[in-house]
Amino acid sequence: MEQSGTSTRLADAVQGLTSELVSALRSGGPFGLAGSVPGAGGPEAADKLTLAAVRVVGADAVLPNVLRHTPPEPDDLAVFSGAVHAYPPPADASPTSTWSHWAMNRTLLRLRGTPDAARPGTPGHNGSSGHSFGHSSGHDTEPRAAWLDGASWQSLTHQLAVLAPLAVPGGDCAVTRVARGRPADVARGFVRAVRRRDWLQAAGAGRWLALLDGVPDTLGLENGLAFVAQMGSADPRVLLQVEAARLMRTGAPV
Amino acid sequence: MTSTRLIHTVGTGALEWLHAHRDGFRLEQDVDPEVGFLERFKPVGELALICKVLFREGVAGSRQAQLARQLLDHAWRDTLDGGRMLVRGQRIEPLSPIPFEVYLPFKELGYSHPEAEEAFRLNQRLESFHAFELPPTRRLGLSAFQRRFGLPARPPESEVIGRTWLGRTPEPWTVEGHIAYDITHAVFHLTDWGENPDGIPAPLADYLATWLPVWLDDWLDLERWDLLGELLVVDACLPRPTLDERAWEGFAAAQAPDGAMPAVRTMPEGTPEELFDLVYHPTLVAAFASVLATSRALTQLAHAPA
Repeated sequence: MEQSGTSTRLADAVQGLTSELVSALRSGGPFGLAGSVPGAGGPEAADKLTLAAVRVVGADAVLPNVLRHTPPEPDDLAVFSGAVHAYPPPADASPTSTWSHWAMNRTLLRLRGTPDAARPGTPGHNGSSGHSFGHSSGHDTEPRAAWLDGASWQSLTHQLAVLAPLAVPGGDCAVTRVARGRPADVARGFVRAVRRRDWLQAAGAGRWLALLDGVPDTLGLENGLAFVAQMGSADPRVLLQVEAARLMRTGAPV
Repeated sequence: MTSTRLIHTVGTGALEWLHAHRDGFRLEQDVDPEVGFLERFKPVGELALICKVLFREGVAGSRQAQLARQLLDHAWRDTLDGGRMLVRGQRIEPLSPIPFEVYLPFKELGYSHPEAEEAFRLNQRLESFHAFELPPTRRLGLSAFQRRFGLPARPPESEVIGRTWLGRTPEPWTVEGHIAYDITHAVFHLTDWGENPDGIPAPLADYLATWLPVWLDDWLDLERWDLLGELLVVDACLPRPTLDERAWEGFAAAQAPDGAMPAVRTMPEGTPEELFDLVYHPTLVAAFASVLATSRALTQLAHAPA
């Protein structure tokens, strides 16, 4: 019973944090990670529940800072850093889990302004704005994307949707390079997800598509994102992905 | 790559079933006027269209060709009473395009009924025939049939295509069952039922090549075999057919041992007549998809490097 209660509290905390992120992205107003997790212990907010919720949300927990290139408050950075270090991926972690953690670490390095994190990524990709993510230092070697080699378009889209926090401007890495090489396949996956009413997967795929060149025009991505947001509006995780996609498409605050 | 043998076997099984159940292609002489005498003409026309494809593609074995010929003879001689039923149908509903649509493939296969043709020609001189309100995809099919019959297509197909769902290349994620059937039929009409793949304008062929894999995936998983079969026909009509392995394997696995193809999920139950009415269409579609895809697979083989 206690396990179940913990799960529910964590789910509530994740939902609350995600809703705060959606509001911040929509309003453009200030966002503080510390204090955005409902049910957390105290003003410091660096308790276990907070760290767990931030780990679940992943690199997107600081998405307003990332998309607006604004530095987080020291408290927020401490919370984010705490989550990164509290939950290192186990040796047998799945590729998505490993990559999700890597994305958090990369984001942390970038937000701290660590020189390693400012090293330019592969040249030639879009969205480079002087804040490019590079391969970080030796203690955070970029994982391999071999598990995506030869993935069907269905499987590729599913994996990419799970790793939607990697879809940020200038965020070059092995996974984004795979996505860039298969825009039509990701678009197919978006259509598949919408048809199956898997709004979360559709929203994640839509966010990747907002970043990719060569997406077929006939997809109707803009209206597709609006449709996904409308149909999946009960789930803040869906809205977070759609807001991220919209901001990356309009480019306004990026 | 999908086994050509697997694709071919779906068609041979389907044709065996259609031949064994050919009495199911029947008209109802004393039908309730509310239902309409023409209601049961559609299966006969579809049978003729698909047998024509079978002869045209030249991939049928001698037994298949013989079964198809016997089926056609049966439909023309017994079901349509040598064409007299077409005339009767036209007299009951003078403005209906159905007798004309059923007649055309028979005419192209060498059957003929001058009195029926006279009625069609008069019918098509009427302004009302052209003003008759039809959904754009159906109108596209009628224009194609007018052209094939040697009449002016009114309106020309190039004018109608832009009014169909496919012609406007809308958001692919909005496709549902009815729209999907509009797509497949637009392709059938544009290509003269697979005879002329170049009949699909390039932007529409690109659109289909991009999104068809998603629809195949979807209706395969939904086990909607009738629609999946039609989508497999569309694939075979494209400049570069994929002959989607997973879809073909699922489609073949859904076929009953006697060759019948269920419309959805598994074979239904019912009296022989009820059963025929429920599965004749997906079984015809299975024969159609098989013949076209076998033909395309052989073409690919011929063009493959030695």
